[in-house]
Amino acid sequence: MNWSSFKYLTRQGLHSMAANRLMTLASVGVLTACLIITGIAGLFSANVNSIVEYMGKQNESVVYPAEGLSPEQAAAVDAGIRAISGIAEVRYVSREEVLERYKGYMEEYADLLDSFEGDENPFRANYQVVVSDLENLENVLAQLKAIEGVDGVRALTDMSSMFVKVQHAVNFCGWALVVMLGVVSVVVIHNTIRLTVFARRREINIMKYVGATNGFIRLPFFIEGMASGVLAGLLAGGLVLGGYAALLRLVKDVPGLWGQVAAASVLPLSGVWYLVLGGFCAFGVLIGSIGSAMSVRKYLKV
Amino acid sequence: MIVFDHVTKVYPGGNIALNDVSLHINKGEFVFVLGHSGAGKSTFLKLILREEKATEGHVYVSGQDLGALKERKVPYLRRNMGVVFQDFRLIPTMTAYENVAFAMRVTNIPERQIKKRVPYVLNLVGLGGKLDRLPEELSGGEQQRVALARAMVHSPQLIIADEPTGNIDPELSLEMMELLTAINSVGITVVVVTHEHDLARRFNKRVVTIDHGSVVGDTEIPGEVRL
Repeated sequence: MNWSSFKYLTRQGLHSMAANRLMTLASVGVLTACLIITGIAGLFSANVNSIVEYMGKQNESVVYPAEGLSPEQAAAVDAGIRAISGIAEVRYVSREEVLERYKGYMEEYADLLDSFEGDENPFRANYQVVVSDLENLENVLAQLKAIEGVDGVRALTDMSSMFVKVQHAVNFCGWALVVMLGVVSVVVIHNTIRLTVFARRREINIMKYVGATNGFIRLPFFIEGMASGVLAGLLAGGLVLGGYAALLRLVKDVPGLWGQVAAASVLPLSGVWYLVLGGFCAFGVLIGSIGSAMSVRKYLKV
Repeated sequence: MIVFDHVTKVYPGGNIALNDVSLHINKGEFVFVLGHSGAGKSTFLKLILREEKATEGHVYVSGQDLGALKERKVPYLRRNMGVVFQDFRLIPTMTAYENVAFAMRVTNIPERQIKKRVPYVLNLVGLGGKLDRLPEELSGGEQQRVALARAMVHSPQLIIADEPTGNIDPELSLEMMELLTAINSVGITVVVVTHEHDLARRFNKRVVTIDHGSVVGDTEIPGEVRL
């Protein structure tokens, strides 16, 4: 196909969109609605994931080295902890630091705690460990306990496993919804485009008789489908992102702990807008063009 | 140009549309294919256009065995023939110019050539002043002439006319046939499929008669119709 034919067919596709305004509106409308619902499900799932991940990161495990270790043994424990894969962060907290921290927590008893300075310090030095993936927590804990010179490990495993379960459930539901709506979109779009193609079956028939190749006949429909997809993608993207921005403003004003968690973990608009718009347009183009190509096929058998 | 070699066409369901038809149409001939409704004329056309394949036997067009022709080669076969249908089959949203130009565009002919060729061909069929008219703004005879211009625009070696006078009045029918005769006079093979005996009789041309799927008459002497 030469450039002038391509230009002509592209024009034909766009012209046909304008000529069949009602059908175009129906395709774009249906696709936009499907994309909006899919997008909301996707954003919800991604945000719950982010919140759970954030809360998981707050859930530190504490590793206590045995008391009376020689400097070499202490260094070996330190190296052993840091060598374990799946740990996002390791921080050594000395006895003095623990004491200082408690002084901060219990300001009114600071004087009392002052008497615990030096050898009187009852606290133990420890390592605060953040696991990168909560799913891996049990495995990491087992490795930590196995290190020679480690006296004990404290971790809120019940809470972690609850986080993991929530994350799994939300992920499963979110993606199931996305896939389900994706399939529904394909079917609805396919049927809508089939109506457009049906209305133009005579034209397709004539094209076949004058020697048009299948590719030549398909291209305008393909362009039409792609353009409808881009339109629907931009429209749905704009609406979803507008709604999301409004929601973020509301979240910012939520008081208390949940407000803090949300502020720290909800995905910012700057981190999702290009994914939402790009994803919507790509999905729209894919569904629109495949739907068109599939719908024309039946009428090419002449 | 066209050879039917013991061609039988049976449709799914067992309907025998053509039964052991053998026929030879030479390059440059003008042939009427005559028959009543349901005689097998449409199947005869569909086989030439490779819309259908023969169940038995072989159909050759310009030396090509259409049974062996790959699906993706069919458009190229059709570009070498022009087809005129009873119902004109013009695209209603396109002007006369666009309808004819369209047949050139499908073959990737540059726009420059299209702009030259289309007005020339439309002028040949007497529609030089109606390039911008939509089909609905043209009479039946004029629409048929646009269809003929579209069939001719590629300078095909073969023109097939399926009941070309079926939807136009008798006076215009004669005009149309005269146009087809003129086209034939420059060496283009013309096959006119019709059920109108009078039309076939009026012109001194070869007449092949089909009835119940078989060739029941093929005039040795042009113009002599046997049934």
